[in-house]
Amino acid sequence: MDSPEPPPRPPLRTLLVRNRKRTVLGMDPQQVIKYFFGLNASTAVIVLVLIMLFLLREGIDFLPTYRNELVTYRRAGLEFCDIIDKPLKEHQSLSSSLRQSVSGSLDTLGKTARDRRDAAFLLKNQAEEKATQQRETLEQALEQAPPPAADKLDILRREQQKAAAVAAASLVYPDLFTAAEKQQLQTEFAALTPEVTDLPPFLQTLAADFTAKDHEARTKFEALVTAQEEFEEAPEGLQEVLDELKEHAQETKEKADEFHVLETNRQRLLEAAAKAKNADEKASLTEEAEASVAEPVNLDERTKELTARAGELREQLENYVKAAEKASASLPQEAGTSAATTMLADVRAKLPVHVQEMRDAALQLDQWRSDKPVSMISVIAAFFFGSQWITNSSWQDFFGFVPLLTGSLVIALIAILIATPISVIAAIYTNQFASEREKEIIKPIIEFIQAIPSVVLGFIGISLVGNLIKDFSEVSWLQWVPGFPIQERLNMFNAGCLLAFMAVPTMFSLSEDALNNVPRAYIDASDALGATKLQTVFRVIVPAGISGILSAILLGLGRVIGETMVVLLVAGNRIAIPDFSAGPGVIFQPAHTLTGIIAQELGEVSRGSSHWQALFMVGIVLFAISLLVNWCARAVARRFEPHKA
Amino acid sequence: MSADSTAKTTPPPVVQVRDMDFCYGTSPALFDINLKVKYHRVTALIGPSGCGKSTLLRCINRMNDRVPSARVTKGEVLVKGKNIHDADVDLTQLRKQVGMVFQKSNPFPKSIYENVAYGLRIHGEKNKSVLDEAVERSLRQSALWDELKDRLNANALALSGGQQQRLCIARAIATLPDVLLMDEPCSALDPISTLKIEELMHQLAQEYTIVIVTHNMQQAVRVSDYTAFLHLGKLVEFAPTEELFTNPREKLTESYLRGTFS
Ligand SMILES: Nc1ncnc2c1ncn2[C@@H]1O[C@H](COP(=O)(O)OP(=O)(O)O)[C@@H](O)[C@H]1O
Ligand SMILES: [Mg+2]
Repeated sequence: MDSPEPPPRPPLRTLLVRNRKRTVLGMDPQQVIKYFFGLNASTAVIVLVLIMLFLLREGIDFLPTYRNELVTYRRAGLEFCDIIDKPLKEHQSLSSSLRQSVSGSLDTLGKTARDRRDAAFLLKNQAEEKATQQRETLEQALEQAPPPAADKLDILRREQQKAAAVAAASLVYPDLFTAAEKQQLQTEFAALTPEVTDLPPFLQTLAADFTAKDHEARTKFEALVTAQEEFEEAPEGLQEVLDELKEHAQETKEKADEFHVLETNRQRLLEAAAKAKNADEKASLTEEAEASVAEPVNLDERTKELTARAGELREQLENYVKAAEKASASLPQEAGTSAATTMLADVRAKLPVHVQEMRDAALQLDQWRSDKPVSMISVIAAFFFGSQWITNSSWQDFFGFVPLLTGSLVIALIAILIATPISVIAAIYTNQFASEREKEIIKPIIEFIQAIPSVVLGFIGISLVGNLIKDFSEVSWLQWVPGFPIQERLNMFNAGCLLAFMAVPTMFSLSEDALNNVPRAYIDASDALGATKLQTVFRVIVPAGISGILSAILLGLGRVIGETMVVLLVAGNRIAIPDFSAGPGVIFQPAHTLTGIIAQELGEVSRGSSHWQALFMVGIVLFAISLLVNWCARAVARRFEPHKA
Repeated sequence: MSADSTAKTTPPPVVQVRDMDFCYGTSPALFDINLKVKYHRVTALIGPSGCGKSTLLRCINRMNDRVPSARVTKGEVLVKGKNIHDADVDLTQLRKQVGMVFQKSNPFPKSIYENVAYGLRIHGEKNKSVLDEAVERSLRQSALWDELKDRLNANALALSGGQQQRLCIARAIATLPDVLLMDEPCSALDPISTLKIEELMHQLAQEYTIVIVTHNMQQAVRVSDYTAFLHLGKLVEFAPTEELFTNPREKLTESYLRGTFS
């Protein structure tokens, strides 16, 4: 705008007059100040609301997207294959148990023989390696087209012999062998030359020994070995059919996806063409759109091809079940070792369940319909109660929330169980028993913990705590602890310990405040009745401060659930529902968490994909949990504190 | 009750303070106090604010022990003839013997029953029927039983101010103390509640020996048999209440009673 006249300014006098009336923008200054402060206070509320809106905006589309994916999963027939495929996974775990049982049993007879054979062959390799250079020189000389002069060869031979002798002498012979045998081995290794390809006699004996022992063991445990082999091979026919069907279904899905992508692309191009002003542009866009034509997939047709083979599948399944049952029936009661016997018993107990599951699956095949609609409720249930979080899968992604939730909850529970006694007791001590000097030392130190970056704690968890727990779990007199010895250094207990450490400052400070807020008059009354210090503390002060302490614990819980870095680094990040059948030992299993999954995956997924949206859903739930916990903390703090009223 | 009636029987004083000096750190608060508290009588401590009434009262159950560096520097305090600063005195037993009621009512945030039973519980009483009995007796003696017998499990903090203070009295007498110390027990209460507590004290005097601090001279006249007047940490005059108020021996007392005190 270039209007020549500047807007008329109000003359100075009017401003002054206004000032005299004490109004700002036509409002009373008192009011203006009030609004100013009110606005600042409400910023927090506004930001909170914005955060919620943002999370919702990104996450809310998840449900329809996921629904579409589940519809494709069903219509392309992947679900149909999974009916059989999922229960069949159990076969692998049973089979592996049996394999372990067999090898444990065979070891009872064959272990020494095998160890001796393996040790001897290892030594032979080492001996040869140490004399490699001379050996290779000799080999090359022998292979030369006109063989070198005999005396030259002799020199090479002698050198090789010398090197072999030195190598043989330098080896450490384990005590698996007697002194005489050690001697024998050394002589044989010293005599090794590339010109003799036969194994030295003692090595041959060792190998023969093992074969004999192994044969003996296999005969002894023949029933077990055959049963295991039979069981292992039982699903072959079924697997073959299933694999074909899976391939078919997957192809369908890929085609459908491709069609979907191209089709949306075409729609977009056409829209753009409709809007284009320029005729050339319009033409080229239309042309492009035409190119983006995909051949539509007749999903129904293709899934019919799948269901047509249901009979075949059922037949194979019945074969499998029969074979498995037969193998199970022929399993002996006893295996070679007690561990192996336990494993057998375990397999025997689990097999009928597995068989039943397979039979149920066969029945489900008939009821399965590719055109059954996927209801929104079932999508919500699939998220909130789904037990699988599988992403980037070539087969099908599942966004089930339960493994993450259980991981987060178990870790938080461990942390709170550890941190509560520590921080409450420390707070009671500091508030009631410590001298002023002690208070001056304890409080800043505990509060300093808060300043430690959580990533540093993560290091400590990985390098120090993990090893400590592992070492402790191998101490023999601690074997009564459930879950010992532990498999994974990075596990929920480790993360829980570190989170407890992080939660202590919050919980300690707030508990200490709660105790501090207990009115002095209560203490007077208790003292005047002749209570001892301990009685006053535990009968009056702690009960009077209990709501504050509870609210401190809840706020600690909020802190623990929201913590990310430590769990990401230390919890082990295995996305599976922990195996609670392990009893309390479950805490030594790795897990993944709500916070950890977001931190780990959000950076890698493409914006707006279903995975991205699923992560935002997780964020929404996390946010809701935190709000709930904080609200509970406040509610608890308000209750039972009449002396604050 | 009149001072004359005490002359007939002369049981030994329940509390006797002899030549006592008391200091808070380096600043002396009481000088050369001599006081005999008679058996089953109400003794009032009066005097201007800051003169050391509360301090003297707290000397009797050694509540001053809780102030670091506060101590008796001379003389002694005897409760039932026993020097309470002797090494073999068990502080918890002493405080069981000498109950205390504070200026501001301070029931615990527990049920009425638990408030009264607290003293017995911390002294190891677990028998339910003994506790029940003691609670009923104490509440009856503090004239609360009829009002509260149906809601013994209600939170004590839900009671009115006057009821709370009487509950504190009930709590203090549940352990059957020999002496009951009261530090301005009515100063935070309305006139009707005050009246109730004053009535109560007449009845309590039949069972307990009472020492009461009050800034209200009328109250001293109404409730006490003996009155001690303190001024600037010194015990100026100690006499039967009637005598002290009608015929004070000391000029200082007289001017204080007249209100011509500066
Ligand atoms: N805890 C304390 N530490 C130090 N001085 C105190 C303490 N309590 C009371 N005093 C002092 O002792 C004197 C007597 O106080 P107090 O016995 O409370 O008086 P009264 O109850 O008669 O009003 C006052 O000068 C007061 O400042
Ligand atoms: Mg006072």
